[in-house]
Amino acid sequence: MSVVLPGELIQAQHKNLKLGPGLQQYVDLQGRTSTVVTRAGTLEQNAKGNKSWVEGNSRRYVPAAQEPVVGIVAARQGEGWRVDIGSAHQASLDGLAFEGASRRNRPNLKVNSLVYARVSLAHKDMEPELECFDAQTRKAEGFGELKGGFLVRCSLKMSRNLLDPNYFLLPLLGSRFPLDAAVGMNGRVWLSTKEVKHTIATARCIEAADPDGGGMDQIAVKKFISTLD
Amino acid sequence: MSFTRPDGRGNEDKRPLHIIYERLDRVDGSARFGFGDTKALASVSGPIEVRLAAEQPSKATFDVTVRPLSSLPGTESKALATSLRGLLSPSLILSRNPRTLLQLVVQSLTPSPIESYPPSLAAACINASSLALLNAGSIPMTGVVCAAGVALFRSTTEEDIPALVLDPSESESREAVGCGCFAFLFRTEIAGSQPLPTNDTPGARLVWTNWHVKDGTSDDGELARAQALGLAGAETIWRAIKQSVPQMDNLPPPPLPSRSTAGELGIITQSDEVSDQDMNDAKIEI
Repeated sequence: MSVVLPGELIQAQHKNLKLGPGLQQYVDLQGRTSTVVTRAGTLEQNAKGNKSWVEGNSRRYVPAAQEPVVGIVAARQGEGWRVDIGSAHQASLDGLAFEGASRRNRPNLKVNSLVYARVSLAHKDMEPELECFDAQTRKAEGFGELKGGFLVRCSLKMSRNLLDPNYFLLPLLGSRFPLDAAVGMNGRVWLSTKEVKHTIATARCIEAADPDGGGMDQIAVKKFISTLD
Repeated sequence: MSFTRPDGRGNEDKRPLHIIYERLDRVDGSARFGFGDTKALASVSGPIEVRLAAEQPSKATFDVTVRPLSSLPGTESKALATSLRGLLSPSLILSRNPRTLLQLVVQSLTPSPIESYPPSLAAACINASSLALLNAGSIPMTGVVCAAGVALFRSTTEEDIPALVLDPSESESREAVGCGCFAFLFRTEIAGSQPLPTNDTPGARLVWTNWHVKDGTSDDGELARAQALGLAGAETIWRAIKQSVPQMDNLPPPPLPSRSTAGELGIITQSDEVSDQDMNDAKIEI
């Protein structure tokens, strides 16, 4: 929970050490390991002390495997689609990576439609790949085309917060009006409500609570909602 | 040493530091850094899609543009941009995002004389670039580059030791016999077997300097002393940068509409969402 800058050495010793974003391990010739910070932020550790990572905000998404993302279909390409997920390269989404898709029956996505997908392949030398189903169970599990609704953008820290079940914002909004949301780790949130004013309220609350934007806390957001309705 | 500076600072005193995270809208990271009135603004985007011609198969393309306050970038701006690119590259892990582009734009906010960027302005550009890269957070870094300007004055009357001053103002660097900017990369060296530094900053390594003496009587000792003074300045900047990290997010709530945002600080922000109080938090003065 301390502030760190890139280049600082940190103490992370554990038999089964797992390093998250912002940390890199070096091994010297004697086999000694040392862990160095590679991004600015606060150093976090789990209770057991075997996982460490650096918590910081950023706006540019760098794909990582198994993360849910909201993508915009950019073009059709052979059997699948090219999807913009906000990273440096467009991701590819195969036409058969959907629940119940077969050669004969495959979904029909138009250019500019939205999809909620999971990153199935993220390697720095290859373009990212997406899938809209669980490869083991072949069930959609919430992934697929997002029809209707509204897309808002936020910082990556905000999208991580929204995915945190203990974070106040979505339960708070959900207690006031019915709300469907699909949160991507790439800083894109898809919203669907019954009324336009609820969509506007949700979008403005996300913007207000975003640490890169208004940075409001729970009390301030509650006050803010009451001014909207 | 009987040398006194025009603005009454001690020889090893900097002007107040300003570190402001600008949150520019259409870039991934941005920051403003200033030594007093000598200010620079930097913005970073990346990793983003790269032109096919500039694509590199094993690392990201790092593109730096320096813009002067007025008119188009000339040779001096291009030279500084090339230096910035060279001195910032060791602090970045560009191989982590191959076939992408990292774009850095540095805008000088101080008029620069025609001949060259004065050392303090060059240092402000370097520090602003480092801050913007830290703010973007999407490019892994091995360390942080911090820079400080140093100027040399020789007294004409007595046979005195030449005076070295930290962070020369523009008029000082015009009158100085010698001046230059020293940029250091702060990182923990893993390969070396030297013990860990005892103070709170990681080890520093000189990555760039443009030290020059006009009367042609420089010696190595002078350069070493200037470098040591630059390092001392850079270390305080490193600490200021570290202190400023929590301000990258967690902005306090926006002000109530009734609060006035007038005054000098209101002019600095030009943003409706940030109040005077927040600005005081967002600006570090040392």
